[in-house]
Amino acid sequence: MVDFSNQPTMKGFFAPTRFEADVYDCEVIGKVPTELNGAFVRLGGDWLYPPKFEDDSPFSMDGYINMFRFKNGIVDYKGRWVKTPRFKADSAAHKQLFGKYRNPFTDDPSVKGLDRSVQNTTPLAFAGKLFTLKEDSLPYEIDCNTLETIGPYNFHGKYKSLTFTAHPKVDPATGEMICYGYEAEGLETNDVFLYTINKKGEVTRELRFKVPYVSMVHDISITKHYVIIPIFGFVSSMERLKEGKVHWGWDDTKPAMVAIVPRDGEAKDIRWFKGPSRATVHTLNAREEGNKVIFEAPIYDSNPFPFFPPVDGSAWDPTKARAYIRRQTFDLNSKGDGYTEEKLFEMNVSDLGRVDDRYLTQPYRYAFTAFADKQRPFEEWKAGNLGGRVNNCYGRFDLATGKMNSYFSGPTHSLQEVCFVPRKNGTEGEGYIMGVACNYAEVRSELIIADAQRLEEGDVARVILPFRATAQVHGRWMDASELPFA
Amino acid sequence: MSETMIDQVTAEGSTLLTRRDFARMFAAAGAALAIAPWKIMLAETTASCGRHAVVAFHMDQLYVDYSGTAIPYQPPLGARSGQAAADLSEEDFRRRFVYA
Repeated sequence: MVDFSNQPTMKGFFAPTRFEADVYDCEVIGKVPTELNGAFVRLGGDWLYPPKFEDDSPFSMDGYINMFRFKNGIVDYKGRWVKTPRFKADSAAHKQLFGKYRNPFTDDPSVKGLDRSVQNTTPLAFAGKLFTLKEDSLPYEIDCNTLETIGPYNFHGKYKSLTFTAHPKVDPATGEMICYGYEAEGLETNDVFLYTINKKGEVTRELRFKVPYVSMVHDISITKHYVIIPIFGFVSSMERLKEGKVHWGWDDTKPAMVAIVPRDGEAKDIRWFKGPSRATVHTLNAREEGNKVIFEAPIYDSNPFPFFPPVDGSAWDPTKARAYIRRQTFDLNSKGDGYTEEKLFEMNVSDLGRVDDRYLTQPYRYAFTAFADKQRPFEEWKAGNLGGRVNNCYGRFDLATGKMNSYFSGPTHSLQEVCFVPRKNGTEGEGYIMGVACNYAEVRSELIIADAQRLEEGDVARVILPFRATAQVHGRWMDASELPFA
Repeated sequence: MSETMIDQVTAEGSTLLTRRDFARMFAAAGAALAIAPWKIMLAETTASCGRHAVVAFHMDQLYVDYSGTAIPYQPPLGARSGQAAADLSEEDFRRRFVYA
């Protein structure tokens, strides 16, 4: 018997959906550009069964993959659970058997040793295959047409880390994927295995090194010659896990550290830079200027996640959990371990930012992300008030001029992560932005498609789902040339 | 029927609405609804009974009833499905809906 009644906030728009769905030829307001041939694939989580512990992280939700398939101006929708061993075990038991986020000591004894992964973070198209990614485990291969789960994937046995990042980067110049696993040899190990995988899906390089302290290594950036790897305040230990806590706690005394790793170098060539407390969960892009590495990202002052609480018992501070687009400059000629930092925009934004991926490693101009514009109307009498917490706009942030153009989703909507879809053979920023909006008045999800160069004009099309799509962590546009779509 | 014909003055001295005038009035009614949807009240009419004009439905068509005797149109409130998060502290909101 499933009972969510003791989950007081899983109501209304935030109630679990728990079903798989197909919608053929979705309702569309506006006109879907016929040049869009591929799929917008989303990955996120939903609770198949209620969490075992009230204070567990939402990152423990069961993975759910869904896609909007675009062809000839028609859009079909499909959504499926990622059927991991964990999902199957819970389904068979008709209850949640797994405990807190990345803490096997809190599991039901019946699932000891089973793959705990929930595969709920990022979809990836690479080497002609579709994957789901979750940083505590290997990628899972997914059938790109049925979205059925095939299983864990280790790149022909050559990928040795036990974990795989949710944010690999593909070098647009070479087609190589730079990826890594942290806690690579198991829980609480301080190893990082960094890989280069060519566009055929063959591992061509492995570099093993250690981090100064076991911490979350969620995202990286790449330049032509370097990999930029931020680590920051989240800490963990085996003692912590045995005490029954979630994997991460926040230690404000830990410096933010950034590794500059030569792509063709050895562990001894890594430069570690050190700065004040920061949380760089997601990145935008990086480039080289002479002997300097320029790195840009939406960066928090401190811990953005209250479900990974401060280890000193202090209260989580929401005023420091705001992300600003910042630039950090690392001088490789310097003898010291410091770096400089600038805030590029004074407004706080969603840290789920994107760039035109064709410009990764290179100088670029535009970053896209969501933000809350309090000047825009919000019709609480239709939508509910959400305490005013609504990301109602997508912004195009011009890093060259400091200007921002915005798209407004409507007075009863909030927006999930933005995705940029480049126009073939177009210049930087030429194409569409895409993302799912929550319509709180109509209790449904709508896929927004807007011209990235004319955001103020509104969307060119909205694909309407007659239900709430599961919450997304990350979504990616996958062109028809990347995957063997039917 | 042409707009000129529709626009003719009737024997009683009242003016029939052109489509353009109706559209303009409809837009004004919409704006009024947006500003104060709970009132459903437009400008005062000259009706001797002192009633207010109302926006109403007849055969699935919205119209402005100057007599004030029609059943006022009540716009749907919306499902207010975000309300579940209204009373949560910033910490509790993030704890549950980190990327909502």
